Amino acid sequence: MPSLPQRKVGIVACSGEELPEGTVTRLAALKVLEELRPADTVTICLPLFLAGGEGDRAFAKFYPTIAVDGCDRRCAARATELYSNKPAASILLDDVLAEQGLPRPQGLRRLTPDSLPAVDALAAAIASQVDHLTSSHWSRTEGALLEAEPAASPAVSTASCACGSGIPVTNVDVDGQQVRLMALDAIFDLAYGQGLRANGQLPASLLETVRLYNPVPAGQEAAYARAVQLAWHAYCAGQEASHG
Amino acid sequence: MNIAIVPCSGIGKTYGSVTREAAYIVVEELRPGSTGIVSLSRLVLGEEEARSVVRAMPVITLDGCKLACASVNVQQAGGTVARDFTVLDCYRRHRACKPKGIAQLNEGGMALADALAREVSEAVDTLQRTPNLPDLNLDPATQEASEELAGVRQMGGLDHA
Repeated sequence: MPSLPQRKVGIVACSGEELPEGTVTRLAALKVLEELRPADTVTICLPLFLAGGEGDRAFAKFYPTIAVDGCDRRCAARATELYSNKPAASILLDDVLAEQGLPRPQGLRRLTPDSLPAVDALAAAIASQVDHLTSSHWSRTEGALLEAEPAASPAVSTASCACGSGIPVTNVDVDGQQVRLMALDAIFDLAYGQGLRANGQLPASLLETVRLYNPVPAGQEAAYARAVQLAWHAYCAGQEASHG
Repeated sequence: MNIAIVPCSGIGKTYGSVTREAAYIVVEELRPGSTGIVSLSRLVLGEEEARSVVRAMPVITLDGCKLACASVNVQQAGGTVARDFTVLDCYRRHRACKPKGIAQLNEGGMALADALAREVSEAVDTLQRTPNLPDLNLDPATQEASEELAGVRQMGGLDHA
């Protein structure tokens, strides 16, 4: 049974173009993504929270995120919380500079050579948080970090959304058309864990949750409900078979 | 500054880097003084200062993909997108400039950013000829005055792409 990969951490950098600090956050995030922790991290695009990035919004609801901000406006942390979920960790460049005794960065388009240690220090701080989060237990139900304990072994995902968010998608048949639904198995995991079972009609709350992450075209609500119900029955049957 | 430039701010793909680089070329080299960058992150958060800037002056957006984050976010903030540019359209006009790289664009990416910046600069010049453009440096408008100015511009009919 596919489920959400458990060790991915999302990095949301403020990336503010008006300040050198924004450039530092962007370059530090990229350093973590490309060099330091490429297997454990994905980017979450801050502007997509408003521009229709269901995948990005859904990611932060299900996975731990690290907000990286260049100034005390904390656009990344506050916007992530506003549109998706509270970040598991929030890093402010000022704090890192103070801890390391580094000068304020200079340069917008191109950072000055003196500013590059700030990128390295911030990237190291992000990587450290990534390590902490990947070795801790993240509750997708609570959207919060639980006690520090070894995470479960990584699960296998059958497919990931093309948006690059890492959210698995499930193909279902809606009146003869193959439709990709995001995070369906993760939603079923949560529902099953909360005691819902496939005994009768599809629970309304389950369908509502599916619709949070998947647009349902007008007029096709009933067809989608049937498709989700079929998938839910199959999921529950699989769970019961695997648990005897 | 009387024209706001808003690049898409994407950090995970090459085209986002091209928009950012092009925006910097415009505000730092080609049209300094009359243009300035407004960070999309501030608009996403709904920060009032950033929202008032994009409401008070014409905005040129530079988008890296069809999701058009820059244009969408500016419009959601109540701003007027006077011209919107996309990297893909620009690339179709400059096929030799194939961009690669994210943190550091390759030569093709830099050339494409330069080409995009020149197109944006031409749009800036067109907008500069529009009467009643506010200048936030010379006359810091209050929110009320900014909305009045925005209304004047809309009645004047700016050049929409």
